[in-house]
Amino acid sequence: MSLIILFALPLVMAAVIFFTGKKFPALARVLLPLSALAHFALTAWTLFHTPDLEWSCGGHIWLKLDTAGCWILFITSLLFLAVAAQTYFWLPAEYEAAALRHGGDPRQHFMPERIFLACIPAFAGTMTLVVTSWNLGLLWVAVEATTLCSAPLILFHRSSQALEVMWKYLLICSVGIAFALFGTMLLGVAVRSSGNAPGWWYALLSAKETVIEPAWFKAAWIFILAGYGTKMGLVPFHAWLPDAHSEAPGTVSAMLSGSLLNCSLLGILRFYRLAPESLLPFCKTLLAVLGLLSLLIAALFIIRQGDFKRMLAYSSVEHMGIATLILVFCGEEIMLPHLLGHSFIKMALFLTAGNLLLAYGSRSIAGIGGMLGELRRNAVIWTGGILLICGAPPSPLFVTEFSLIATAPAWVGIIVAVLLFAIFAGMTMAALRMTMGEKGTLQCPEILAKRAEKLWLVPGVMILAATLLGLYLLWAFNPIWSL
Amino acid sequence: MTGIMEIVLAGILGVDLFLAASSRLLSCIRWVAVQGILLAVLPLVMWQWSEGTPHMEGILAAACNLLLKGILLPGLLAAAMRKANVKRELEPFIGYSGSILVIVLAGGGLFWLCGKIAPLPPPASLLALPVAFTTMAAGLFIIIARRKAITQVIGFLVFENGIAVFGTGMMLEHGLLVELGVLLDVLVLVFIMGITLFQISREFQHIDSDRLNQLDDSKMPVNADLSVEVEQ
Repeated sequence: MSLIILFALPLVMAAVIFFTGKKFPALARVLLPLSALAHFALTAWTLFHTPDLEWSCGGHIWLKLDTAGCWILFITSLLFLAVAAQTYFWLPAEYEAAALRHGGDPRQHFMPERIFLACIPAFAGTMTLVVTSWNLGLLWVAVEATTLCSAPLILFHRSSQALEVMWKYLLICSVGIAFALFGTMLLGVAVRSSGNAPGWWYALLSAKETVIEPAWFKAAWIFILAGYGTKMGLVPFHAWLPDAHSEAPGTVSAMLSGSLLNCSLLGILRFYRLAPESLLPFCKTLLAVLGLLSLLIAALFIIRQGDFKRMLAYSSVEHMGIATLILVFCGEEIMLPHLLGHSFIKMALFLTAGNLLLAYGSRSIAGIGGMLGELRRNAVIWTGGILLICGAPPSPLFVTEFSLIATAPAWVGIIVAVLLFAIFAGMTMAALRMTMGEKGTLQCPEILAKRAEKLWLVPGVMILAATLLGLYLLWAFNPIWSL
Repeated sequence: MTGIMEIVLAGILGVDLFLAASSRLLSCIRWVAVQGILLAVLPLVMWQWSEGTPHMEGILAAACNLLLKGILLPGLLAAAMRKANVKRELEPFIGYSGSILVIVLAGGGLFWLCGKIAPLPPPASLLALPVAFTTMAAGLFIIIARRKAITQVIGFLVFENGIAVFGTGMMLEHGLLVELGVLLDVLVLVFIMGITLFQISREFQHIDSDRLNQLDDSKMPVNADLSVEVEQ
């Protein structure tokens, strides 16, 4: 029962925020962090105190949390809380910046606040449904719903670019997800043609006695990869991701990158677990090819990147590629810490990127310089975050990437190591250019610099948490010490 | 089987061709509505009436399909079209006779291919599989080959219809809740897309999706600042 409350609570709060927002805007702004806090508390309670992590109705299990689900639910809920808290403090600063830059009523440059505030919990609620759904049809419905709830969030800055991005996001993701629906139907045919009728019930599908026809499953797997892969940002289906992550405000990018991509990966994982023994090599090969491609394309685009939010977006493509490679070569138990580490650090980075955008009003790497002089706290978090996301120890990603390189076949390990090095070089160069040296061409009004400096808390805490997690993993992870 | 099912399936196939050939957006929207209605009728036609009446669930799903795909979605699209003030698809990337040729060829190929797959269990028609695939292909083709953003939404709906024909044709049971969830998603999607269309037409003075190309990795974002925001 707690699972139902878990996904229904944010949805109800979204409706409340939407309807109270017109008359009581201040109340709506407070309700957002409150609902996130309630969601996080309920998640913690569910994960630690409830023995039965499932909900069934009519003889079928509808919602259930397995290990991977628990991890990703925790990430999603924590990110929701962090983003809600940051939004509460960042929104007034953003209005102030718009008033300073453009004059007049700042709100005309943004979408109505209550729609923005309502979409955030709705987005979190649909993601919770993705994580908990134990019926593949319901999973599809929930994933498509995440697209619908997150699309309006991209339009926060009412610019023509944001409109263009929103259109691309809606169209590319919806067509992609439609492929996944087709793949899910093919899976239905695959189980039926071997004589049983488990429908889309995951509990029945994953039962040992269920026989899955390999030929149909092969077709299903291709469409599932294309479908959920689009949502996850795997190359070559990633076209929407850099645009959406760079145009959306920092808090939204943090949620898109930190939790939505994980949820889509979970969709792929659910199908991966159903693969018949004889098809496992085929499934693994496809996943590994997409993973390596993602890593390669991300490396190429990060090196020559001039836009810091786009750089972070390509870094998300990179880490989704690494996560699939880890799933193929090391297994789930290494992949989940990788996702956790990536979500924490990437969220901190996107929130900091939002602060920088607030202060400088531009996403250009070349225009920003000498941040250590003006925005000291943000500069420290930014450099620290970039080092951690590149896998410099004590990052949790160091441990997971190390085990990938150590366990994968030698040629894969070498390619991954070279590409990771290229990404490290590209990202740290950008970060150092921004933080050190002379002041850049972009001016940062002092009042906005002060505002941006006050927003250090949430990203700072997340960076600290990621570092502690990394230290723990380093301490707990035996293979490194046995070398 | 009475042959009515074959007629319905052939109707769905015919709509694909009509869609490829019409340049007036309103007639495109009408054809999509016709396809939606045919799709809603399909499960009822496929039912073995001699063995009793279908479940309440099946009838309810068909009614929702009819209401949504036959009336609501086309209505939304028509409203979006009027607001965005476009009537015709001018200069598509691939001309109308070329489009028909492509879809006929793709359909022929898919029919030939489906002939090689093992035949379906009895209540399903031989036509179901190739019609589903051809409709999906036609939907994707419309998304790619047309310029106006609103035609892309129509293409998406046709693609989705193709998937639904596959599901119905293969007699897959997904349960009422999932079926309604899928329909709700599509409805909200078209609703949001309609609003976005209106905003795009106001902002850009056109809805040509190929000219939505401001964002690109090759353009260095020295000017990617917020000051290029369009003043309202």
